[in-house]
Amino acid sequence: MKTMRRGLRTILRNPLRTGLLVAVLAVSVGLALIMITVNEAFAKRLDDIRAQVGTTITVRPAGSFGGGFLGRGGFGGDPGGENPATGEDSTAQQATLTDDALADLSSIEHIASYSRRITSQYTGDELQSTTIEPPEGAPAPNGAPAGGFQVPILVTGTEDPSSLASLGVEDAQIVEGRTFNSDEAQANVAVLGQTLAENNKLAIGDTFQLNTTTMEVVGIYSTGTQFGDNSLFLPLETARTMFDRTGEVDEVDVQADTASNVERVADDIRAALGEDVADVSTELSSFEGISSPLSDAKSSSQVGMIAALVASAAVILFSVGLVARQRVKEIGILKAVGASNWHVTAQFGIETAVISVVAAVLGALATFPLAQTVANGLVSDSSVAAGPGGGPGGGPGDGGVAPGFLRGAEAASGLLGDVKVAVSPEVFLYAIVIAAGLAIIASAIPAWYVGRVRPAEVLRHE
Amino acid sequence: MNDQLPSDDYVAIAEELTKHFKSGPLVVKAVDGVGFRLPRGKMVALRGPSGCGKSTLLNLIGALDRPDSGRLIVDGVDVSRLSGGGEVAYRRRKVGFVFQQFNLVPQLSATENVTLPMEFVGGTNGTSKSRARELLRRVGLAQDRHERRPAKLSGGEQQRVAIARALANEPPIILADEPTANLDSKTGRLIVELLRSLRKEYRTVIIATHDADIAAEADIILEMRDGRLVAS
Repeated sequence: MKTMRRGLRTILRNPLRTGLLVAVLAVSVGLALIMITVNEAFAKRLDDIRAQVGTTITVRPAGSFGGGFLGRGGFGGDPGGENPATGEDSTAQQATLTDDALADLSSIEHIASYSRRITSQYTGDELQSTTIEPPEGAPAPNGAPAGGFQVPILVTGTEDPSSLASLGVEDAQIVEGRTFNSDEAQANVAVLGQTLAENNKLAIGDTFQLNTTTMEVVGIYSTGTQFGDNSLFLPLETARTMFDRTGEVDEVDVQADTASNVERVADDIRAALGEDVADVSTELSSFEGISSPLSDAKSSSQVGMIAALVASAAVILFSVGLVARQRVKEIGILKAVGASNWHVTAQFGIETAVISVVAAVLGALATFPLAQTVANGLVSDSSVAAGPGGGPGGGPGDGGVAPGFLRGAEAASGLLGDVKVAVSPEVFLYAIVIAAGLAIIASAIPAWYVGRVRPAEVLRHE
Repeated sequence: MNDQLPSDDYVAIAEELTKHFKSGPLVVKAVDGVGFRLPRGKMVALRGPSGCGKSTLLNLIGALDRPDSGRLIVDGVDVSRLSGGGEVAYRRRKVGFVFQQFNLVPQLSATENVTLPMEFVGGTNGTSKSRARELLRRVGLAQDRHERRPAKLSGGEQQRVAIARALANEPPIILADEPTANLDSKTGRLIVELLRSLRKEYRTVIIATHDADIAAEADIILEMRDGRLVAS
């Protein structure tokens, strides 16, 4: 208690020295606390992103990732043909994915379920497609009829009617009727996009011809886009029979049992199917690419945090070392009048601890107004460094990223836009922990120094 | 405290006490085979020119330094064999120091400086403070100076505080190293008189000095030359 009182007196009676030391240390500790807070905010935002990513793994025939499957098995058009997205001949390099190959999936652990899809472009004349008018004065795209662009009709056979998704079809909502069910796996039923239904004057319960097969409209969906609403969905087996593609698969949505197993399952699928057979991609990897500015900012804040902590330790070590040297005579006097090494070290330790705590509390207070600014700066810097479109989530024009990924990309971009840094009172706890750590580290110097001081030597040279 | 040895009426007994320092290739024999027997309740002057080894001998007696060889027994304690905690306990109870440069802790007041040695032996705050004030009154420091820090005191006042501090734990020996060297002659005489008065309390005061007038005030004079006692 007396030692503490003496330590406090020493601090208070040297206001200039104490003030300078506290100021320098407060800047260092404050910076470390800001970086800790910002780092936590970034980590939380990344966790939020991961939580929204889901557990879906997409498997496609190798080489089809750009949408090459659109040329396969279509009717009324050429088999094979050009990838509309890349302009390359997709059949030349595209592998085939079959039910036989997918049988290997059953041996992979942590797969909750999977559903298969095939997609073809309809080019017959039994259904009327929609035409998108070009802007006034703009030339018609190559091959398009004069006066507008004929949107291709995509026909998707799926065994997961609860999730109507295909190229260009996102967030499909049933607006009339229903989707087909498991009892209709081989039934001639269809769910049409709203635009396609209106163009062909089809309503729930109506029938229409599709490749000479009579189909019944059981549902109409809407995505809010002309492209997305110009498609139709059939049960998988119905589509396979109709397209003469028995056993073939264009796309498989695999659900991992937990988000943490996604990458592991994806790796197992790659190993089981072979990378020459299947392209396996996860939403997580897509999101990670998109969220790289945030990850970079998080890394920067970590580096900043470590640098600030090291700087804090260096400041306190240097300062205490300097002060101990300046006060060598005082150490000698204290020992000469009966102080043990412990007494002197404890006094220095108390002084260091008090200075560290005061600096840490000031640093913590500075965290409140400054953390958000620093976070904005770090995200902004990382975004600039990554460049626009730096992630893999380009878009259909870049070669056709899967629809689910497009939704994910938008969501991730939205998340990236605004990282809110909530400074919690826990920052004071961190401050105390840092202060305690610094005090312990810094006390090592006077402890070592005091032990070496021989009163006779230091007082002899005065 | 170890080695309580019988010392009869002698408060300090030295035999063949030696302390050498290395200074580059040279060996400085600061204390070279010194022996003495100092009775209790006397004022002893350790006289000699600068560099003759007076301060080193005081430091050995005060356990601020350790002898290379020889034996030194102070108030029944074999100082030459002390180390660590024994050394600290000895400094607290057996000796009080008065330095030429006063050596007060600059950020503490006069009263706080005097309470320091009492704090180290576990004295309570209230008791230590009231005893410190009493000691300061005894050494003649004006009341209004008690809470001043050393920088706000004159040299004579600082030395009075140093003497009060030396007396704090009632040691049998007071070691004063050139206590008047930084004081004017009038103040110096007052300080010497103050030190002389401690004999009444049966304390031994050892003053290192090169001043013949001060030495003349002592009961015993030990003359040092080149680390040796040449006369007493």
